[in-house]
Amino acid sequence: MLKKGITAACFTFFLLIALVSKASSQDIQELVQAAVEYYRGIASIATVAMTIHRPGWERTMTMKAWTKGQKNSLFTIIAPPKDKGNGTLKRGPEMWTYNPKINRVIKLPPSMMSQSWMGSDFSNNDLAKSDSFVEDYTHTLSSTETHDGKKVYVTESIPKPGAPVIWGMQKLKIREDFILLSQAFYDEDFELVKAMTGSKIQMLGGKLFPKIWKMQKADIKDEYTLLDYIELTFKDDLPDRLFTLSSLKSSRR
Amino acid sequence: MNFQIGWRNIWRNPKRTLVILSAVIIGVWSMIFLSAFMRGITDQMVRNGISTLTGHVQVHHKGYRDDPGIENSMTEPGVLETVFNNTLPPDTLWTSRVRVSAVASNARHSSGVTLLGADPAKEGKISFIGGAVTLGRFLKPDDPHGIVVGQALVEKFETKLGRKLVLMSQDTGREIASRAFRIVGIFRAEMEATEKQFVFVSLPAAQEMLKLKKGISEVSMILNSHQEANEVAAVLRDALPANDYEVQTWQEAMPMVTAILKMYDGFVFLWFFVVFIAMGFGIVNTTLMAVYERIREFGLLKALGMKPWWIVRQVLTESFYLLVLGMIIGTGLGALSVLALSGTGIDLSSVAAGAEFAGMSRMIYPVVESKDVVTANLVVFILGIIVSLYPAIKAARFTPIEAMAHN
Repeated sequence: MLKKGITAACFTFFLLIALVSKASSQDIQELVQAAVEYYRGIASIATVAMTIHRPGWERTMTMKAWTKGQKNSLFTIIAPPKDKGNGTLKRGPEMWTYNPKINRVIKLPPSMMSQSWMGSDFSNNDLAKSDSFVEDYTHTLSSTETHDGKKVYVTESIPKPGAPVIWGMQKLKIREDFILLSQAFYDEDFELVKAMTGSKIQMLGGKLFPKIWKMQKADIKDEYTLLDYIELTFKDDLPDRLFTLSSLKSSRR
Repeated sequence: MNFQIGWRNIWRNPKRTLVILSAVIIGVWSMIFLSAFMRGITDQMVRNGISTLTGHVQVHHKGYRDDPGIENSMTEPGVLETVFNNTLPPDTLWTSRVRVSAVASNARHSSGVTLLGADPAKEGKISFIGGAVTLGRFLKPDDPHGIVVGQALVEKFETKLGRKLVLMSQDTGREIASRAFRIVGIFRAEMEATEKQFVFVSLPAAQEMLKLKKGISEVSMILNSHQEANEVAAVLRDALPANDYEVQTWQEAMPMVTAILKMYDGFVFLWFFVVFIAMGFGIVNTTLMAVYERIREFGLLKALGMKPWWIVRQVLTESFYLLVLGMIIGTGLGALSVLALSGTGIDLSSVAAGAEFAGMSRMIYPVVESKDVVTANLVVFILGIIVSLYPAIKAARFTPIEAMAHN
């Protein structure tokens, strides 16, 4: 009788655990989705200063960025004058770059996808594959922390088998109000390769947003790329004609 | 009688004869050995080339050779199969492949590779990969995510068996196709470049990734011997519609190797010539010495009424003995040393990097070609006789008076 009782108790216990963990994994999926949506907005227009820092030199360029959903984005450099007009258009998994000096649009071939984007610590793939992040990975909660009195969820995202991603794991830190604090990229030995961290959370475009983003490779100290949001507006919609090749080439938008 | 006197004459000064004999022997030996060594290099080069995914005959879609992209793939392999079954010699092995350039990447590294979608059972019999997998296993017929890569690539990517590799390439819709694979096997190849260049996945996996349906990039076949290639290629060219397909033999598919083969032919001949010039001076010098030593003798023969032509013949006979003896011993030594090395091979591992740069493999097995042996001996013999004409004519020109005046 007692034995039966214990078995029944155990069974209920495991069932409960299974239910709870299932529910929480779904919650985490939603949390990540919400964070990505919060970060991207429905559509946005931003002015960003990108600083590429290297041991010997440092340079800053200012660019204007339009994004629509997770699929479409357009970047064009507005300063310094030397680089003005250089642009990148991303539509789904495909990317094009435009160089006004040679007046050519180049579609990025697969061979260039893993190369650095405009000399920064971001790779073309970081941009191109950003849309499928939620679907390509299985997200689980690893721990919670407290930052500035707010609860922060640390999630571990492991790529689904067969997903064409190079990382072994990604770790996100998401604040309870869905603000993404950091994104860390790990290899298959779960060693940190590079990490992007946000800081200076302030009101930008009508919502709280980290003003400064820093992308840094794990094993190289004195090299990083800073993104500083000078201006950010979230929109309900942007016209589709903005994300076309002719728009990439024209300077008036 | 002429030959008997000649034979005795050369042994009148055994030391000198032995010196010149050894010069001829070393010359002939070096000609044979070096040509065998060079043939060994080229032979290995051809074998490597053929087994490194060239095969004896290749069939591609028209235009693939100029632009080996996904657009130039063959969409109806069924047509090819019927033609092959009807025209090819019965024991020909052939396999279809998807072959495109791709980019492999993992978390830390990325590099350009050649993606090969292979039919594992057939591929193993046709190219080097059959016996080359040293760790793990080769692909299964429809491995959806298995990939076999070279040892050098594994080291470059700091990865190992079981790890992931993401391949990116362009699909038939000109969009970026990417797919994750897991390393199931690691192969070693003759050349490090091969290990770095080729990655093998199963044919269905490649077709699915690139949205090729049943399409393939190339067919490669192995015949009974290198020489049949032209014949079979001609038959295939007739049988396949010329607007859609192109057929290449290994000579055409590897123009570099074909050019190197020709160059080495030239090298061998040049080497023969250089060796001969050195040897020729020795022969002229020695024979001239022998002739001057015997001025009085020749003068006496002349005085007794011997015709100048007979004297020429006499001197030439002596050279003939020297040359033939040297050739026999030299060829024998050459054959012996090649024989001794053909089992073990010549190990170039210590200079492997340099050898690889020149397209040579780590082990060289010398190969004797009868053509080279005959050429070497003919060159020595004919040129040897020709240079001996000078001292011979000199000897024939002595007048008895000159001879008597000479001390």
